[in-house]
Amino acid sequence: MNLKTSAAVYQKEMLEIFRDRRTMISMVVVPLLAIPLLFSLINGFMTSREKEAQGEALTVGVLGEDKLPTVIEALKAAGFRPIAKADLRAAVEKKEVAAAVEETEDATGEKYVNVYIDRTRQASEIAGDKIETALEKLKTDTVRASLRGSGLPEKILTPFTTKNVNVASEKKMSGLVFGSALGYVVILLMFTGAMYPAIDMTAGEKERRTLEAVLASPAGRNEIVLGKIAATATAAFITALLTLGSMAYSFRFSPQAASTRETLHMAPPDMGSLVLVMVTVIPTAIVAASLMVAIALFAKSYKEGMSYLTPIVMLAAFPAVVGMLPGLELTPALALIPIFNVCQLIKEIFLGEFSRVAYAVAFGANLVYAAIGFFVASKLFKSESVLFRV
Amino acid sequence: MIRVDNLAKSFHDKKRGIVHALDHVSFDVKAGEIFGLLGPNGAGKTTCLRLLATILKPTEGTAEVGGADIVRSPEAVRRQIGFLSGDMGIPARLTPREVLAFFGKLNGLEGEKLRRRIDEMVETFEISDFANTKTDKLSTGMKQKVAIARTVLHDPPVLILDEPSSGLDVPTARLIENFMLRAKESGKCILFSTHVMEEAEYLCDRIGVVHQGKLKALGTMDELRERTGKHRLREIFLDLLEIAELAQGARK
Ligand SMILES: Nc1ncnc2c1ncn2[C@@H]1O[C@H](COP(=O)(O)OP(=O)(O)O)[C@@H](O)[C@H]1O
Ligand SMILES: [Mg+2]
Repeated sequence: MNLKTSAAVYQKEMLEIFRDRRTMISMVVVPLLAIPLLFSLINGFMTSREKEAQGEALTVGVLGEDKLPTVIEALKAAGFRPIAKADLRAAVEKKEVAAAVEETEDATGEKYVNVYIDRTRQASEIAGDKIETALEKLKTDTVRASLRGSGLPEKILTPFTTKNVNVASEKKMSGLVFGSALGYVVILLMFTGAMYPAIDMTAGEKERRTLEAVLASPAGRNEIVLGKIAATATAAFITALLTLGSMAYSFRFSPQAASTRETLHMAPPDMGSLVLVMVTVIPTAIVAASLMVAIALFAKSYKEGMSYLTPIVMLAAFPAVVGMLPGLELTPALALIPIFNVCQLIKEIFLGEFSRVAYAVAFGANLVYAAIGFFVASKLFKSESVLFRV
Repeated sequence: MIRVDNLAKSFHDKKRGIVHALDHVSFDVKAGEIFGLLGPNGAGKTTCLRLLATILKPTEGTAEVGGADIVRSPEAVRRQIGFLSGDMGIPARLTPREVLAFFGKLNGLEGEKLRRRIDEMVETFEISDFANTKTDKLSTGMKQKVAIARTVLHDPPVLILDEPSSGLDVPTARLIENFMLRAKESGKCILFSTHVMEEAEYLCDRIGVVHQGKLKALGTMDELRERTGKHRLREIFLDLLEIAELAQGARK
């Protein structure tokens, strides 16, 4: 192996990459613009949805203002707007009101307050919860009024209070959502970032007839392939770096960072996790590059190359999506599955609980896949029927 | 400098089955000589030149280029040759200087030596006006100058040129012709292919006529004239191909 030759090829391919508009868009523009845009869209959407739900959640259907005066007073005090409806059940169903209340009485004369809600709607659920709280308070107040003067201490009404404590740290919550979504997006963008250079320096060179002169030079085929794969892997890695950077920016530094974090219930990823993820991504960039260079070599034209690689990008997204399933843990055996293992690792790194063994296995496995990819690509590069397909 | 020995190459083609693109051909080319492979489209010229440039591997036979065997030491062969074909492109997003630097490095040149050599090429082939313009902005003639400079940058003793002037306008084709004649004067061994008889006559010391993968005739222009008894170039060419076909018919 003459590494100087590979370096010359690498240098030339990098020049071409940075001067190719298509590559620059997928490698730089998409990560830098699309990610923050995506986040602000999600952010805006979630915020407006929440506001909308809260506004709607304050309507409550009643049979009439004069019915149930104490209950309606209590609901009004809790911020509700009572609306008279003849058919309460239908009103909730048709979303005319978030919830509805009515009083019924059974044969023994016991009173019930029925609260109608639609559990499939967020607004209705919020209203239901609020109504329940308001009615609980009304109940306690009523009891308290009756107790007054009986000599019993008010404290017996509240022997204890329950309180939920979330054991998952904020970091963990963040990791769960951010990590799995991030893993998926990083892999997807990485593959698209590598796609154009991979096609351009193989099928593209065949089509533009620039490959033959290189093949007729003293450069060895292995050296040429190494340079090309390294350049493609660099493009994939740059895409991943910019994507990660862009995500970190959206969560930490952008003007909307705080509100994004709040609406998505996340903590910002710490620098340590980010760096670790970047390292994790390196062998995957090489795997993606070798795979794509090898496949694109078959194509005779840029267009044909596109039609080969587009399904590969989709396929790559598949294990990434599986990796988003909750509850999956990266066992050393699962760490052998390419792409999936990286998505899982990214998620677990953000959760702060990745296993060193799984990390080592995944890293090692991906290096092996990268080596296999390089081997296959260089074999193909020596095949006349691949290079001179007619 | 070039010795071709019973060289053969066949391809597997889905529709046509086995294609004998080059069918046991032998000839040699000396230093300071221009040898032309003349033949119609599909004759096997490109296949022959690609075999000599070690881009393809022969099915049978072998050849020596600059003392190195194309099968046993292909890299040594590639170090001795400059390879150019008429339909070759040059990297569109690079400037002529970058193209030259790239091919210089592939040929083992580096540092000050590489820089000096690039300057020389830029001067010799009058590239300096557009040496730092991306090649996709250049005219065909300018591109051709860059392509030639790229071919001889490493000063190879052997030039292998596959229909170098095909598809070029007259002034640009002229550029190539002059380059070949100058290279010959400086003692290079030049093997080139063409399907244009006039070009072959003007440039070649000797001509090999190929048809359907076989070498049908070999000699100087005068020898070929004598052999066919014809004078017009077109007639000579057709005659040679006809003789070939007749011979083939007789064998059947
Ligand atoms: N890679 C290939 N696969 C199949 N057939 C080929 C291939 N390359 C060339 N051929 C066939 O070999 C023959 C000679 O082709 P070529 O050497 O290109 O001829 P020329 O350069 O003289 O026009 C043609 O019939 C051509 O179709
Ligand atoms: Mg040809």
